Amino acid sequence: LELGINFDHIWQKTLTVLHPLKVADGSIMNETDLAGPMVFCLAFGATLLLAGKIQFGYVYGISAIGCLGMFCLLNLMSMTGVSFGCVASVLGYCLLPMILLSSFAVIFSLQGMVGIILTAGIIGWCSFSASKIFISALAMEGQQLLVAYPCALLYGVFALISIF
Amino acid sequence: MHPAGLAAAGTPRQPSKRRIPVSQPGMADPHQLFDDTSSAQSRGYGAQRAPGGLGYPAPSASPQAAFLADPVSNMAMAYGSSLAAQGKELVDKNIDRFIPVTKLKYYFAVDTMYVGKKLGLLFFPYLHQDWEVQYQQDTPVAPRFDINAPDLYIPAMAFITYVLVAGLALGTQDRFSPDLLGLQASSALAWLTLEVLAILLSLYLVTVNTDLTTLDLVAFLGYKYVGMIGGVLMGLLFGKIGYYLVLGWCCVSIFVFMIRTLRLKILAEAAAEGVPVRGARNQLRMYLTMAVAAAQPLLMYWLTFHLVR
Repeated sequence: LELGINFDHIWQKTLTVLHPLKVADGSIMNETDLAGPMVFCLAFGATLLLAGKIQFGYVYGISAIGCLGMFCLLNLMSMTGVSFGCVASVLGYCLLPMILLSSFAVIFSLQGMVGIILTAGIIGWCSFSASKIFISALAMEGQQLLVAYPCALLYGVFALISIF
Repeated sequence: MHPAGLAAAGTPRQPSKRRIPVSQPGMADPHQLFDDTSSAQSRGYGAQRAPGGLGYPAPSASPQAAFLADPVSNMAMAYGSSLAAQGKELVDKNIDRFIPVTKLKYYFAVDTMYVGKKLGLLFFPYLHQDWEVQYQQDTPVAPRFDINAPDLYIPAMAFITYVLVAGLALGTQDRFSPDLLGLQASSALAWLTLEVLAILLSLYLVTVNTDLTTLDLVAFLGYKYVGMIGGVLMGLLFGKIGYYLVLGWCCVSIFVFMIRTLRLKILAEAAAEGVPVRGARNQLRMYLTMAVAAAQPLLMYWLTFHLVR
């Protein structure tokens, strides 16, 4: 199967995102693949379209700037460097819970108290998984919250676009 | 040379960004270097061999041309990959000239404990006794190990959070639109640059010999964004009263913090130990420190009052 898409790896990485409390294996990020994240981004854009928000350009712009920012930050904070593809891949995979949030926004409006709590929970979930994968792949210690905070900011912007 | 050629050609499963495009020069170049009688045949063989990259000579006609084509195409591939590596090195070297990456890395060597304690210090600097930065053989210790060392993680995160919170605050007044974020970001960045330049100019005019680098200064000036965020958030939750209370508290805290930190850096060593030294020079330096510290609350108010209505 020479498509270059390794389905087993994609499934493994998706499972890592979906079980935020399970410890991640550091070697899964050795192969950078952008197939999974592309699918998730498109799904996110599709759910936004369903909710009537035609702001796809902003999603692209913000994700590009956010990936660039995380790339610079992680290169400065870790002992070993990262490649841009790796950062984009991890951030794209952890966008999966955000798709759940935006599909909720299609049906219910998220501007009540329940919506705010749900949004906060989902942002926490996304950033926790992303920081967990980064920490295990880059062997950074004692910095998980520090990595989770910028991820939370990035996913918070996505959530803002979903809500408003 | 051969392993490099094999490695470059033998990874079809990597995404296209990783693969070095050397198949083109592999096919075109070696055939122009050789005034070969069997050029048509060797071109055919070269096209077959270059993607495969195996390097076995053709068994049939014109073994000479095929034998020459294979190592040359491998060499061309290796040359192409080394050219790409050289280009990357050039970019890295030039980036290093404009942005001092290793110096920046020092400011980001933080961990969660340091960030927690530093945030506590920014909001409540009154009980902290020892403000001196520890040194280790002439170089300052990394922020991980010394709470007094400046870092750039907190100012950077605080700046970005401030832009987002400002966008949120403006959004709750009108409608939220993502261009607001860009506008806020560029105006805040402009104010920061102006402030850094003004302080550098005044330090130059007063001819102070300090070890206060520009990055240190950016770090210290960035700490006020933490207070600004606190004020705006309280203003969003509790209205104007909450905003003024928290902003007032943060203004006083950052004033004390800046005075105590800058005193050690700008003033002469004798004065830093608490002994008041007379003399025009030291007085000028003290006025400069007070001016820098007083500018912080003013800027904090100026940049946030339009966000809380």
